[in-house]
This record gives sequence, C-alpha cells and structure tokens, in this order.
Amino acid sequence: MAGAEIERNWREPALLLKALPTVLLQTLFFAAPLGLTFAMTFQRTKNFRLDWVWTLETWTEVFSKPHFWTVLGHTLWMSCLCVIICTIIGFPIAYALATRVRRWATPLQILLMFAFLTDATLKTFGWALFLDSKGAGNYLLELIGLPEGMIGFLFTDWATMLGMVYNLLPFTIFTIYLSIAAIDRSLILAAYDCGASKLRALWEVTLPLSRPGIWAGAVLVFLLAVGSFLEPKVLGGGRSPMMADLIRQTFETRVNWPLGAALTFVLMVVASFAVLLFSRVYALKHAGA
Amino acid sequence: MHHRTEARLADIVLYGSVAAALLFFYIPIFTLMAFSFQKGRYLTLPFEGVSLAWYGELWNNQSVRGALFNSTLIALFSMLFATILGTMAAIVAVRYLFRGRTIFLGLTAAPLVFPQMLLGIILLIWFSVLGRAFGFNMGLVTAIIGHVVYITPFVAVVVAVQVYNFDPALEDAAADCGATPLEIYRHVTIPLLWPGIFSAAIFAFLLSWGNFYLTYSLAGSARTLPTFVFSGIATGSSPLYPAMATVVFLPGLLLVMLAVWLRGRSAGDL
Repeated sequence: MAGAEIERNWREPALLLKALPTVLLQTLFFAAPLGLTFAMTFQRTKNFRLDWVWTLETWTEVFSKPHFWTVLGHTLWMSCLCVIICTIIGFPIAYALATRVRRWATPLQILLMFAFLTDATLKTFGWALFLDSKGAGNYLLELIGLPEGMIGFLFTDWATMLGMVYNLLPFTIFTIYLSIAAIDRSLILAAYDCGASKLRALWEVTLPLSRPGIWAGAVLVFLLAVGSFLEPKVLGGGRSPMMADLIRQTFETRVNWPLGAALTFVLMVVASFAVLLFSRVYALKHAGA
Repeated sequence: MHHRTEARLADIVLYGSVAAALLFFYIPIFTLMAFSFQKGRYLTLPFEGVSLAWYGELWNNQSVRGALFNSTLIALFSMLFATILGTMAAIVAVRYLFRGRTIFLGLTAAPLVFPQMLLGIILLIWFSVLGRAFGFNMGLVTAIIGHVVYITPFVAVVVAVQVYNFDPALEDAAADCGATPLEIYRHVTIPLLWPGIFSAAIFAFLLSWGNFYLTYSLAGSARTLPTFVFSGIATGSSPLYPAMATVVFLPGLLLVMLAVWLRGRSAGDL
C-alpha cells in the first residue's frame, strides 16, 4: 500500500500548512545559522570581544597553524577506522537480526532500542568505570583467574575508539538491517537451488544487494564520528583531542568565535568532501564491474 | 554433509554475534547499575560495602532535582513540537508531489547527518548574535529549539514508515461520504497513524531527555541530567552519578517497551 503520491501546489493549504512549519524551522534554525557561522569566519576578536569587520585574519590563522591540521587528520583517521570497525561488526549482527532471531524479535528490539536511546553521557561514563584499572572489567577478569590489570587502555585512543564504535554502531546495524530485510528471500533460495553454498550465496547475492545499506550506514557513521566530543574527552582523557574538542576550546577558553566558526566550517567541508570523494571512487569502481 | 557443518557454523557466528552485541551494549549500563550500590565514595572495585545510601543522597540533592525538572520540561516541549512538525513533514514527504520536493526532503533530513556538537555550535553563534540584538539570554527555550531541530527528522522517519503503510483510499472514501478535510483528519488519518505518532513521540522524548551536546551548548546556565553528569565526571565523581543513571534507566526502559508494543500492534493491524 505504498502511499499513492498526490500532486500538490504550494498554494494549496493541505501542503502549505504541513510543510511550511518544518521549512521555517530548518531555515531559521539550521540553514540561517549555518550562513551566519560562515559570515562569522570573516570577522575577528579583539580583547576577547567580537570585532565586526570583514577581514581574512581568521582564515590566515587557520591555514598557518599546522596544529589544527594535525588534529583534523587525527579526527579523519579515527572516523575512518570507526566506520570500518562498525561495518565489519555491524554486518553479521544486522544479518542475524534480519534472518535468524525472529522468535525473540520483540525483546531484542526493546533491548537494542533502549541501549540506543539511553543518554550517551551516562553510557560513556559507564565505559570509563568499566575500563578503569581498578574498574569493573579488571575485577571480573581477576575473578575468573586472569592476571591483574589486563585492561589498561583507558585514556588512550583505543578507549576513544571503543566509545565511538559503541555510540555509533546502532546506526550501522539499523541501516544494514533495513537493506537486508528488504531483500527478496526467493533470490537467495534460487542461489541455493543452483547449488551455491551458504557462504557463496552470502557473498554473491546478499552482500551485493545490501550494499546500499552498508554504504548509507558508513556515510552516516562517518559524518557523526567526525563530531565526536564525549568519547575523546571522557574515555581518551583529553590527551589526543579531536576536532570537536578543539572547536569547543576555541569558544570557551580562547573566546575566539571567528576561529571556532572557521574550524567548524573546515571540519564540515572536509568531511563532506571526503564522503563525495569516496562516493566517486565507489561509483567508478561499480560502473566498471 | 559439508553443507550441514557450514550451516551450523553460520548459525553459531550469527547467534553469537547477536549475543555479543547485547553484551557489548549492556556492559556500561550494567556497570553503572552495579556502581550505584557502592557504599564508599570511590568508583573502584572491590566495593567497601553494598548500600542504598547514594539513592538517599540523590533524593536530597537540590541540583539533581533541578536537573531532573529541567530535563523533563525540555523533553516534554521538544516532544510536543517535534512530533507535530515531524508528523506533518512525514505526510508531505511520502504523499505529496510538488515543486521543490527534493529541497524539502534535503532540508528536513539534513540535521540527521549533521554532528550534534557542530549543530550546537552553529546555533550557539546564531542565538548569541540574535540575543545581543533582541536582548535575550540562552536558556530552556533555546535548548528546546535546538532539540526540536535535531529530533524532528527522527520523528519524520518513524512516522513516514506508518504513512507509507497507510491506504489513502480510506481518506477518499471518507471524502466521498461527505467528510470535510478536518473531519477526515480527526476521524480517519490521525487514528490510523496514531501508533506510529505515539511511538515517535516516545523516541522524541527520550532523545531529548538524554541529549548532551545540544543542551551543553544552548541551555545557558540551566543544568539538565546529561550536562549535570558531564560536569560531575569532570570534577571528580562519586556513586551519586551511577545512582542517578540507574534511576533514569527505569522510565526509559518502560517507555521503549510501550513504543515497541504499540508499533508491533499497529503492524499487526495493517
């Protein structure tokens, strides 16, 4: 019962009344602030106050300080790694949810949804308590007779990565799940009839057909990962900051708004560009195949 | 024979991955619950003893109550606005063809793929410039606006699924029977979309209730549960925070159960 699409004109109240509030909301509080942020990058600060003159000072600073670019590189690297890990561990989970555990679908849905919707600050804090050298993880490992202090990576990049994967994995699972659930079962059964093994059917039928979901999940996770702030702060101990942390500091401790705005823009543009670049490569690769 | 071992291996990997995923997702949640019963002040194991003292502390703590009140207030208003806007956007997105539809879809969905921290920052810039011009300060209202921008697309996606499964012939039938557009909405469209709208509203409430990034940038000096916990972690924490987390988990779990049950029921009807 796909919703039959009805031709509407903007002069009709049916469309105008329903679409206008969202258009206004996203224009006033998303598109316009984005524009203002861009305009802000061409201003400067004087004695911790905003000085509204058009200048390229901020951009000169951005391009002359290698520190910003190091942090940006680190952020992009962490985000790519996060996407790869999420995709590798998310695929079997999504596949199992779509094809196996039917009988426990409802309780599983509740448990996963609850874990996803629970406050990220609390969950990240929970990981810090688990990973601490005197935390729950080491305590449990010692209980089953393993040597002391096995888990010792809190306040390293690995802890940050764990937190990022933890907070973003639900997005991967969800997008891949949707694309696998939409696959026509008979295609897979046909592959079996032709004598394909399970693995072969997975590789040649399921995987190519779920590619849009894998791709959508990867893009979503990448774009959300570049904005990670809690994980490097709480789990990474702030030792190797990522862009969001750097931007926050620019606003809070340095009170340099134009610089913060410029760094926000750099991050957004570079992240979108990375996505575009990957989609070009992806499109070329599959156009040839 | 070979196929059978392969099938068994596949089952082990798949069921195993779901079990591992559940364990992974619940490690921090169970850790927090466990630490809330620590008698001593430090968040390390082994415990000095087991007690409910921190729950009592929680009950008597004024800032916790204030944070709880702010979180709930912000979440209720964000839920209300995001649900109304998101539902209307979902109907428009699924049902109508019009000029500028692509722009509408892009504008509606954009905050979904925008890091929250950055959304918080661009809105912070926007509200402080506007605030200086019109003489207002950031607080609960600006936080609510930020939450609505972020949550409306989520609601739209959840409701869109329901709209997609909805037979528009039912509305035509009502119109043929002489119902006015308003009556059709009241008696046909809204009742049929209700399960989707209701579960979307629950998601909206929880997304707003647990939101850290936007509140952190936009709430001014007002504290909510997530920002309260964040500042607690920064300044040396105590089992007060795990106790608070545990108290927060229960209504969350009940609401999710209600949402899933409603969606399951509506899927059965159609």
